[in-house]
Amino acid sequence: MELHYTPEQEAFRAEVRAWMEAHVPKEPLVTLECREGYDQHVAWERTLASGNWGMVTWPEQFGGRGLDLIQWLIFEEEYFRAGGPNRANQNGIFLLGPTIMEFGTEEQKQRFLPPMARGEVIWAQAWSEPGAGSDMAAIQSKAVRDGDHYVITGQKTWSSRAAFADWGFGIFRTDPDSKRHKGLTFILFDLNSPGITRRPIRQLHGDTGFAELFFDEVRVPVENCLAGEGQGWNVAMATAGFERGLMLRSPGRFQATAKRLVELYRAHEAEASPAAREAVVQAWGAAQAYAYNTYAVASKIMAGGKIGAEASLNKIFWSELDRSMHRTAMQILGAHAELKRFGNGQINQWLEGYIFSLSGPIYAGSNEVQRNIIAERLLGLPRVGAG
Amino acid sequence: MDFRFSDDQLTLTESVRDYLAGTHGPEVLRRLDEQGNRDPAIWQGLVEMGLTGLLVPEEHGGLGLGLVEAALIAAECGRACLAEPLVDTAFVAVPWLVHQGDTDGLQAIAQGTRTVPLPHVLNPWVADGEGQPLQSVDPLRNLAMFSASGPADEHLLNLGALMSAAQLLGLADAMLHQATEYAKIRTQFGQPVGAFQGLKHQLASCAVAIEFAKPVVWRAAQALQDGVASAAAHVSHAKLAAGDAAIQTAETAIQVHGAMGYTYEVDLHFWMKRSWALCGAWGDRAFHVRRIDEAVLGGSLPIGPEHTFA
Repeated sequence: MELHYTPEQEAFRAEVRAWMEAHVPKEPLVTLECREGYDQHVAWERTLASGNWGMVTWPEQFGGRGLDLIQWLIFEEEYFRAGGPNRANQNGIFLLGPTIMEFGTEEQKQRFLPPMARGEVIWAQAWSEPGAGSDMAAIQSKAVRDGDHYVITGQKTWSSRAAFADWGFGIFRTDPDSKRHKGLTFILFDLNSPGITRRPIRQLHGDTGFAELFFDEVRVPVENCLAGEGQGWNVAMATAGFERGLMLRSPGRFQATAKRLVELYRAHEAEASPAAREAVVQAWGAAQAYAYNTYAVASKIMAGGKIGAEASLNKIFWSELDRSMHRTAMQILGAHAELKRFGNGQINQWLEGYIFSLSGPIYAGSNEVQRNIIAERLLGLPRVGAG
Repeated sequence: MDFRFSDDQLTLTESVRDYLAGTHGPEVLRRLDEQGNRDPAIWQGLVEMGLTGLLVPEEHGGLGLGLVEAALIAAECGRACLAEPLVDTAFVAVPWLVHQGDTDGLQAIAQGTRTVPLPHVLNPWVADGEGQPLQSVDPLRNLAMFSASGPADEHLLNLGALMSAAQLLGLADAMLHQATEYAKIRTQFGQPVGAFQGLKHQLASCAVAIEFAKPVVWRAAQALQDGVASAAAHVSHAKLAAGDAAIQTAETAIQVHGAMGYTYEVDLHFWMKRSWALCGAWGDRAFHVRRIDEAVLGGSLPIGPEHTFA
């Protein structure tokens, strides 16, 4: 166990810090979940790309820096230290990117990855359907082969970023006689294709971030299929693994929240409760624990290890930590918690964050599903129900 | 930066785990409970494994290993619910004596002929020491009132708290395992009770708590080994995280066992009672929360994303 950074790692940290200090917007951006904020966040993706910071762990040939996971953690720490905005392109760089690298052809890699790294194409995910949420194998949207095209008909929902994004990815039923996990195919599609209708969904906070997608005989070239017809479930499970696993929520984000919570508590110390004080202490501890665990997992992967169902432990931990930190902040703010802007005009980011944190235990596979996975695959308890 | 154990560390840990699993099962705890708590043969086995000399410098006849190795072995002692005073003597007293420059009796400790029950001002009594006996809820824990008040030494406290945290990890792991195995074989309504989500989710929550307590303990062991200024806060963090995980797992485990869990017949109670005892020893929960509070809210410990290993 070596818990010190090398001089090279320290130098890398200094390089990231200097760039972030020079480039991260001084004022928080407008929420990503509206046109104005989306455009601001896409502009930020392009600024990041201009410094070649778009996706640091990707190989250089695809627009990355080829950095290892410890360097990635250092990058993320500095990103959140500087207050870097949420990533408009997280579906692309953290989910689809690694999936294409694992399953894509050389042509697909060249075609899709560099524009993704440059922030030119923003991706939406399209997994869920009205009848297929936690039970994703219940997917019904069809892609019917017609010559060198698939013709897609059906409906997707809760598609994050889909209100404004450029391209989408999801799984569709290519074998009409198939059931459950079989006969599904992973397909990438242009969201501006004829036949696609986007209906933005107003979210809990009142803004529109995710959307419903209606497909009415949408023609998609077969070369947009990933890993071959019928392989969709395996590919999607790998993608979901990336989502629950290491990269979607790096520890820096929660350590930054814990630090802001400490500062909030200090500002309200006179009126805050002893329970809130202990919750703040616990928040620091849990954010640190998450960071240590991530370093341990990163070290393991760098040494050739893999993560499997352990990713579910991760997803539960960070999502419930995020909710509890924001709940504590709301309690400390007391009567002020309900204000969308404080008296001084400042946006109440704790309120926005609390609302967002309530989605964490639901998206990327609900925490109930994650607990089933832990119980069945890590603890070996018997499976029931799910087929 | 590499947050992994070395192959040597893992091999050592596995060998101790296998040894204890083979020689120190629940039937041994029952026998000890009926026949006087300590068995020289068990102690001799630990001595022959070299564990009493794990932290004794090589020039004094030991293995000269560090606190990370000791914490790994302490976790195995917790997993086996070991009652012998190995952790207190070999992993708490030895490094403290070395730290004090008091090396005279180290060889005898390594050879297994001397145990060192160390009182501390925070502990109202001492385990495996001389004095008026006290009865612990843990039937295998021999407590005595210590006539004089112990020292208020912070390093000693940190060692005791760290090794308690490590034992609590092993205890929690073992209780989760016992509850899980029981849930696989106990059937009701025509299926194993472990097939019900009501139990699955509780057990999964314990797995989460344990998983995220572990690296906190290893990080604290490394910090104390390296003597970093913030080590006290990290040790307290370790004790808090491991203690909370153990109590959550103990309560879940008894619930999963149902009425059987409430009997003296089921093994679980040994592990649960040891957890209760260790949670209060070497600084209770309030004490350790306060120490983290002083570092984090008091401002002596740098916090934020860029200070993961501060």
